[in-house]
Amino acid sequence: MRHVIFRVEKERYGLPLSAVREVVVPPERYTRVPRAPSAITGVMNLRGRVVTVVELRQLLHLPEGPTPLCRVVLLDRGRRDLGLLVTDVDGIEAVERVSAAPGKVMPAVRGVARLGGLGVTVLDPEGLDAAVVALFTPSK
Amino acid sequence: MTMDMSRYLGLFISEATEHLEALGRDLVELEREATASTVDSMFRHAHSVKGMASSMGFEPIAMLAHRVEDLVDAVRGDRKLLDRDLVDLLLNAADTLTAQVRAVAASREPEQAEPLLEQLSVRVRALTGHAPGVTRVAQVTVLKPADASAGAASGSGDGTSRAVGDGAAGDSAGGGSGASVSGPGGAAGATASGASGGAAADATGSGASGAGASGSASGTSGSAGGTATGSAASGGSSGTPGSVTSSGASGTSGTDSGANREAPGASGAAGASALAVLPPASLMPPRDLSSPEALYGAPTGQSLVRVPPEVDPSSPVSALAAGLKAAATVGVDGRGSGPRWSVRLRISPSCQVPGVRAFLVHKRLSTLGTLVDLRPPLEELKAGRIPDGYIQVDLETAVGEAGIQTALRNVAEVEVVSVSQAVPEPPIIAVAPPTSDSARASADAGSRTVRVRTELLDYFLDTVGELMLATARLREVGKELPENTRPALEEGVYRLHTLVKDLHDKVMSARMTPLSLITDRLPRAARDLARRKEREVELVITGAEIELDRAILDELADPLLHLLRNCIDHGLESPEERLAARKSVRGRVLVTVRRARDRVIIDIEDDGRGMDPARLKASALKRGLITEEAAARMADRDAFLLSCLPGVSTAKELTDISGRGVGMDAVKRVVESVGGTLEIDSERGRGTVFTLRLPLTVAVVHLLLVQVGEEVFGLPIAKVVGATEADPELLSRSRETALLPHGNGLLPVHPLEVLLGVPATPRPGFRPFVVMEGDAGTGKVALAVDRLLGQEEVVLKPLSRPLDLLPGLSGVTILGNGRPVFILDVPRLLTA
Amino acid sequence: MAKRVLVVDDAIFMRNMIKDIFASGGFEVVGEAANGLEAVEKFKELKPDLTTMDIVMPFKSGIEATREIIKADSSAVVIMCSALGQESLVMEAIEAGASDFIVKPFRAEDVLAVVKKVLGEA
Repeated sequence: MRHVIFRVEKERYGLPLSAVREVVVPPERYTRVPRAPSAITGVMNLRGRVVTVVELRQLLHLPEGPTPLCRVVLLDRGRRDLGLLVTDVDGIEAVERVSAAPGKVMPAVRGVARLGGLGVTVLDPEGLDAAVVALFTPSK
Repeated sequence: MTMDMSRYLGLFISEATEHLEALGRDLVELEREATASTVDSMFRHAHSVKGMASSMGFEPIAMLAHRVEDLVDAVRGDRKLLDRDLVDLLLNAADTLTAQVRAVAASREPEQAEPLLEQLSVRVRALTGHAPGVTRVAQVTVLKPADASAGAASGSGDGTSRAVGDGAAGDSAGGGSGASVSGPGGAAGATASGASGGAAADATGSGASGAGASGSASGTSGSAGGTATGSAASGGSSGTPGSVTSSGASGTSGTDSGANREAPGASGAAGASALAVLPPASLMPPRDLSSPEALYGAPTGQSLVRVPPEVDPSSPVSALAAGLKAAATVGVDGRGSGPRWSVRLRISPSCQVPGVRAFLVHKRLSTLGTLVDLRPPLEELKAGRIPDGYIQVDLETAVGEAGIQTALRNVAEVEVVSVSQAVPEPPIIAVAPPTSDSARASADAGSRTVRVRTELLDYFLDTVGELMLATARLREVGKELPENTRPALEEGVYRLHTLVKDLHDKVMSARMTPLSLITDRLPRAARDLARRKEREVELVITGAEIELDRAILDELADPLLHLLRNCIDHGLESPEERLAARKSVRGRVLVTVRRARDRVIIDIEDDGRGMDPARLKASALKRGLITEEAAARMADRDAFLLSCLPGVSTAKELTDISGRGVGMDAVKRVVESVGGTLEIDSERGRGTVFTLRLPLTVAVVHLLLVQVGEEVFGLPIAKVVGATEADPELLSRSRETALLPHGNGLLPVHPLEVLLGVPATPRPGFRPFVVMEGDAGTGKVALAVDRLLGQEEVVLKPLSRPLDLLPGLSGVTILGNGRPVFILDVPRLLTA
Repeated sequence: MAKRVLVVDDAIFMRNMIKDIFASGGFEVVGEAANGLEAVEKFKELKPDLTTMDIVMPFKSGIEATREIIKADSSAVVIMCSALGQESLVMEAIEAGASDFIVKPFRAEDVLAVVKKVLGEA
């Protein structure tokens, strides 16, 4: 299946092409979302639609890095206007044979795959959704 | 589309042969023992051969098989009739059929077996009392033609081709059209028009039925009427306030009078540009801005902003709505099945079996309610005796016109001529002159409406919104151009703006959807609720044909259901209590929808026990939601609204019916988030009315824009009491909270940056404060902000997931400069 | 997504013809059955969007099969394949829950018109 491959720092991630609507350059400034968790960068106006931008790094609990985040991967989840802020987008590649990811199980992560000799973490669109919603719901 | 039947020739030969062999075996078996299953089996074989032969266009075979089928059918009931002569005759027929199939296999036309057909007919007539049925045969020929006698064959692939059929069968000459002739393996068919006269008996023109089917496809649901266009227009233009000089600005800047003089900078600036309308705070003298006029301009301007919500009961619109539409009464316990409708239909003339068609229609309609009248009567219908194909059905049903249309939409060969409500007593107002417009609109709707997916409508709206933004940008760019090149561009931009605005209006009117879309499910819900509570409820819905923007409608579904639950569950008393209170055992819930100017008003009213303001106050007091002092001052109407605070309810116990899903607080929030208001009125022992006042179209809200740090937020002007300036350092304090003098009292101050968790950059010295209406519980509050930016009229967008999970935000909008801005729900910010 | 069709007729000839008609109309024929018994089983197994049902069939008639299919799934769409002269049988089938009917000999465009109408695609 074809996947959109993108990076957070050096780490590579993939999302099924069908789950990605488009990739855009982030705006110069976001509108802050009051009372939102810190992973929410803000909202942006994308051709008249209000898109909520989430920093993938924080969503996946990755450490802070030096490179600026300069692409927004917009998910195609019906009318749910959600974008993931990532370091860069590499392109579209066919990803086969996804195997279970080592370590802690995260709903946002479907598994890992090999691509050109390198590992790719394959993300699960539904899981990402759930992870974002979980940010907003106070944990018990 | 003509099927190439030649490809089935091989299959026909082999399968027909099998059936005929089996028929022969059965006949032999029959002589030994005439069992019912043998006769049935014979019938099936004959029937199958007939069906295949007629599909292949082999009329002689089809006719003979049909007669055999008829004869076998005639003896099915009484097998003793099967005498030796009859079996002989049938065996003879089976042999002849076999020979005919062999002929076909040898690419010869099967011969018509006239004498045999006649013998069979005589026996059928003798047994049944009527002539054998007509055999219908497809007008196709598949054999390799051998003789060009018909002379009409146009050239075909191989040299041996010829036209066939040519009326040799001797039956009435049917004008067969478009018979396709082709050799089994050869090139695709040459077309021999008018060739196969043999198709005879049933030669309805081939084009007719196809046209009938497609032509009737347009009658569809509901009415996306154009009624609301006018008012949609006014809301629409506000999509791009600020940069496009539009209604938002003009409403306030216009008149210079009275109060305006007190704050000249404020109102003047609001007219010119949306952002940065107010002069810097330091230039303003300290003053009390607590009257809204002082801040927003003259009273005349104000009245444009705030639409007086009162309906004039004598207004033609509401009178018309009430008069034209008889109340859609639904007896919840199955009593009475709704208003009476007259449905006129026509069976397509090309329909081969109008009787069955009519029966199907009858069946569909009778599931909707009670059939009161049917013309022609059912027996006539079933026999296919339908003059000109017209059928008139009167039925009592609660599903409404849309429901009737839906039930018939999927039936082919039927055209709905008209659906009209047969009102038992003609309403007096029905003769009122201004009826024509809406009446025509709904009459036309049936023939002109198409169904459009909601997403598509949303997309149109979004795109038009983008167009408006793009237009505004172009206009801005134009201002940078040198003077001499400007007029041409400005003219173009002006024209573009007009077109886009017009398009926006059209899109908005296309989004209008009748409220029945969501009220249609209330009767069923009422029935279920009433049954569970062992109560009797009569639900009366009026005005459900009134239209609202689809987006608002979608939001309202759950709140309406909740209010209905509330009425049945908490509002209505038990039958015993009702009897004791000298009320009818059966409770009544009225859902009344009406239009008032640019608003739609929905009343949900029960005749139950009513609400007790004292108990609501006590409950809110107990939970610390209001102060004792506030409770004492509170008017009853405000006290009723306390039921919308989380946790406050007069219900003695939470039941599984109302105590689940959305609560009253959610109802209020949803109604307000679409730009509407909720009011509650109640009288002890008499009942409760919930009144929803809703905008017709996607909420256009008037905002006061404020800045805190780098961020801009919108406060709904409807909730703004006023604004003032003060030096925070000089305010008195009660513990942590600063107190702002207001009127005769002190208001608690909440710095907005603290409420929202954003960094602020307050200037030293005076700071603006906005005084906001609180909840029924919280009372007024003062919000400290960094700057007042002025007001805007904006189109509110609902929050999409996950933003809707955040408390305190009621929506989002995009300003003229392209910046998204959140609209704050202050009471929720304070409590959540 | 193409609508999924189950074709029931005791004659292969008819089944093939009907299958071709559906294929030409962009439908997907997912199964066929040669008698009423098989029809009910296949229906439960395949859950088609639409079933065409011959009336006269061995083991179990099309009317009986329709009745059982509707009993299993009241929203099932069953179209009766009838011939002239079977009017009363078709009405019986409609009583049993059949959604509509087509009349032999079939013309592709007539069949597709009825089917699309019934499925709300017309």
